[in-house]
Amino acid sequence: MAEERTVMRTQLPTSAESQNPQLKKALEFPILEKQNWLIHLHYIHKDYEACKAVIKEQLRETQGLCEYALYVQALIFRLEGNIQDSLELFQTCAVLSPQCADNLKQVARSLFLLGKHKAATEVYNEAAKLNQKDWEICHNLGVCYIYLKQFNKARDQLHHALHLNRHDLTYIMLGKIHLLEGNLDKAIEIYKKAVEFSPENTELLTTLGLLYLQLGIYQKAFEYLGNALTYDPTNYKAILAAGSMMQTHGDFDVALTKYRIVACAVPESPPLWNNIGMCFFGKKKYVAAISCLKRANYLAPFDWKILYNLGLVHLTMQQYASAFHFLSAAINFQPKMAELYMLLAVALTNLEDTENAKRAYAEAVHLDKCNPLVNLNYAVLLYNQGQKREALAQYQEMEKKVNLLKDSSSLEFDSEMVEVAQKLGAALHVGEALVWTKPAKDSRSQHRTTSASKAACFQQPLGSNQALGQAMSSAAAYRKLPSERGEGREKEERNIDE
Amino acid sequence: MAAAPSSDTDSGRGESKEASSKWLDAHYDPMANIHTFSSCLALADLHGDGEYKLVVGDLGPSGQQSCLKVLQGPKVLTESPLPALPAAAATFLMDQHEPRTPALALASGPCVYVYKNLRPYFKFSLPHLPLNPLEQDLWNQAKEDRIDPLTLKEMLEGIREKAEVPLSVQSLRFLQLELSEMEAFVNQHKAKTLKRQTVITTMTTLKKNLADEDAVSCLVLGTENKELLVLDPEAFTVLAKMSLPSVPVFLEVSGQFDVEFRLAAACRNGNICILRRDSKGPKYCIELSAQPVGLVRVHKVLVVGSTQDSLHGFTHKGKKLWTVQMPAAILTMNLMEQRARGLQAVMAGLANGEVRIYRDKTLLDVIRTPDAVTSLCFGRYGREDNTLIATTRGGGLMIKILKRTAVFADGGGEVGPPPAQATKLNVPRKTRLYVDQTLREREAGIGPGPGPHLQAHTAPAEHLDSPPHPGAAGLLPVRGGALRPAPGLLQGPLVGARAQLPPGDLCGESQ
Repeated sequence: MAEERTVMRTQLPTSAESQNPQLKKALEFPILEKQNWLIHLHYIHKDYEACKAVIKEQLRETQGLCEYALYVQALIFRLEGNIQDSLELFQTCAVLSPQCADNLKQVARSLFLLGKHKAATEVYNEAAKLNQKDWEICHNLGVCYIYLKQFNKARDQLHHALHLNRHDLTYIMLGKIHLLEGNLDKAIEIYKKAVEFSPENTELLTTLGLLYLQLGIYQKAFEYLGNALTYDPTNYKAILAAGSMMQTHGDFDVALTKYRIVACAVPESPPLWNNIGMCFFGKKKYVAAISCLKRANYLAPFDWKILYNLGLVHLTMQQYASAFHFLSAAINFQPKMAELYMLLAVALTNLEDTENAKRAYAEAVHLDKCNPLVNLNYAVLLYNQGQKREALAQYQEMEKKVNLLKDSSSLEFDSEMVEVAQKLGAALHVGEALVWTKPAKDSRSQHRTTSASKAACFQQPLGSNQALGQAMSSAAAYRKLPSERGEGREKEERNIDE
Repeated sequence: MAAAPSSDTDSGRGESKEASSKWLDAHYDPMANIHTFSSCLALADLHGDGEYKLVVGDLGPSGQQSCLKVLQGPKVLTESPLPALPAAAATFLMDQHEPRTPALALASGPCVYVYKNLRPYFKFSLPHLPLNPLEQDLWNQAKEDRIDPLTLKEMLEGIREKAEVPLSVQSLRFLQLELSEMEAFVNQHKAKTLKRQTVITTMTTLKKNLADEDAVSCLVLGTENKELLVLDPEAFTVLAKMSLPSVPVFLEVSGQFDVEFRLAAACRNGNICILRRDSKGPKYCIELSAQPVGLVRVHKVLVVGSTQDSLHGFTHKGKKLWTVQMPAAILTMNLMEQRARGLQAVMAGLANGEVRIYRDKTLLDVIRTPDAVTSLCFGRYGREDNTLIATTRGGGLMIKILKRTAVFADGGGEVGPPPAQATKLNVPRKTRLYVDQTLREREAGIGPGPGPHLQAHTAPAEHLDSPPHPGAAGLLPVRGGALRPAPGLLQGPLVGARAQLPPGDLCGESQ
């Protein structure tokens, strides 16, 4: 190299101003930062092999003094998952240049990734002393506090970060805090501000849509999900949520076309196959429905919703024994749900096990708070068994619930349910005291119920619906009963993690 | 079951067929052995004969043998070795003398080598950085033997902890030594003058006072010392110096130096700093959440590629206008300017072998290349306007010419529903056996048969009192995990204890 340098120099005519022509020859120590730009370029091109080669060369030449080379080496270690080595290298960098806040930030981040949140906060605070106005430090401090469960401090830090510089990530973290604290309204506010700031971020739009869905404000939910889909037509969460809303509307074909998109991208998703199965169920293609649900069950054997749907479809297919087994499996996972016991009772009735059927109904009635269908079916069974007095009692319970529902929300009752109730009322000589103001949907008279009733009660009437196993997509189907609030959140957790 | 792709996907998409492609394949040599980045490519009429040549600062296959190559047509015209790796290459007009041929500037290490007519003309070296006076003092004492190595070491360490001005390489090396070596080191090096030198990381040209094509331009250098220098083309003096919060990686300038100019610098800390004339520091700062991979100015919009595989458009005040997601990592970006039609677009080379051309958010065209493209250059080459030159990861060289009849219509990209929508769902089929079993269950299910069997195990109240099924309870806390029980066993553990139906009656088909 030296020869080439001398050749170079002799070729140059003597020109003014070449400052210090002896520079190259005299400098025995190579410039430390000589190839930093090359290391950086390889790094951003994600060409880690070439990057590592250059780093090694530089470290050898400079005897380990090139700080940037160490820094990028540590970043690559972190990308490869080797956090401990990464931490050590960053600490070396921090020693080499103590005034640099970046190195401290990276040390803190490594500690955070290793799970040492308290230590990470301390290092971040030190870094903050060096550089006050760094949104990254505030943001990361906020995230550490979230992990330390100190939500107030976390909120403060994140708000501070937002003041310094608005970023989608910070909004998302703030939203998460509010969700963790159970404060849906504030979370929605934050997400709305975030969407104003960054209207094309599909993650924000989808999360906002899902939150509205959880609260039951379907119009807005659909709007936001639709927006998310215009920017990214293959967004998994948005498609699932939008598809499930379409299913509640009864648009099974449209929902199926949408699901096809996701089925290519994420073929092994239990909620997806669950929803597809229920679309087929709505179209009355029961065998296809069962296939899809079985696949969903294979992918997620502990998901009670899939088991519930399987039970339901088998009931519809008159395979009571199979229905029984799926429903009892679902009950194992979800022992406090009235509808499950009700369906179980239906299966048992059809299997001619009236004793156990009655016990199942009793349990269902005991657990249920607002679904009149449970009482109705129980009443039908009791009446068929000749226990008119008990039947009457159940019928009256049902009336109470219906009245409650009529007043509180604009529901539509299943037409079959109305028909059966009226027949039963006539049989019990109760008279036409109960007025079913809403027109109905169909349900079968054999107290083989469909969870449209479930839909009637808990889901919102997005339009009239026929008998169909509710699309128990984990994206939608948020229960609104106070007792089931916790589980709603669990589903939502699952959603966000997915 | 594969559905035939619908015709609208083909027509709008990047063309693999020559006939429908907007580009003519002029040359492709996968063995050209050219490894470079977009910043080291330049097109210029170096000899003044109207035939534009391509200047490549080649880094060599392993970054070892760097050389300067000049290509004419598909052939390499000259090749000369370089003393250090070239960080950037640019062609610019230095002066008003005839003939008005552009000079070539190559930034490498701390120097800029200027070539005229492909002959070395001048070498500009960056000015030395100021030394720490305390350090200077200490070494002076060492030279006069007034201080012993240990004390020297302590004092130097003290400086390193606190000082604003970093130590020179000599001191840093010294601090690393063992006790025994210190004496020797000091004796060897004490007579030397201390130096601190920085390197150039990026370079671009800025017109001096006129906006014409052939006006004189200044050189703008970005250094590792977080500074920007503007050099006068005739005397190579530093006209202006600006400082940045971090080391610049990519530069984009607009305007003229004497009148008004705007400089956007993408830095290593993920920020894009925008500076104006007469500002010592950045006026606006755009913070990205990832590293910038490329910076291109299209009219008044700054298009930035980020390592999160997306392109962002920003105004010159730093407001984000749009974001487009790419299907693969962006490797390089450059400007595509078609003067005749007044078209300015951004070309982005992706890691999956595509070159995508965007005008604002709309995808104009997709070019498929056999290998990922690492550098792009568009302009006049030879006597042909509108040539795209690209080098690939494997060292190949590709030259494509835009057809004269090619018109980039908006919406030439992906429109309509995603193609995945056309493929049918793959619903598992059920066999005849399954259907028979279901019929059998239906018939056998009703009647005194299974009832008594079920009774013993299935009283619902027992669901509550009995301990939860061990299988379920033990594994319940794991949510959404990768538990994939074998299909055959699926029905066993969950409900085996519950429903003791005669085995044949269960829907016994396998998944």
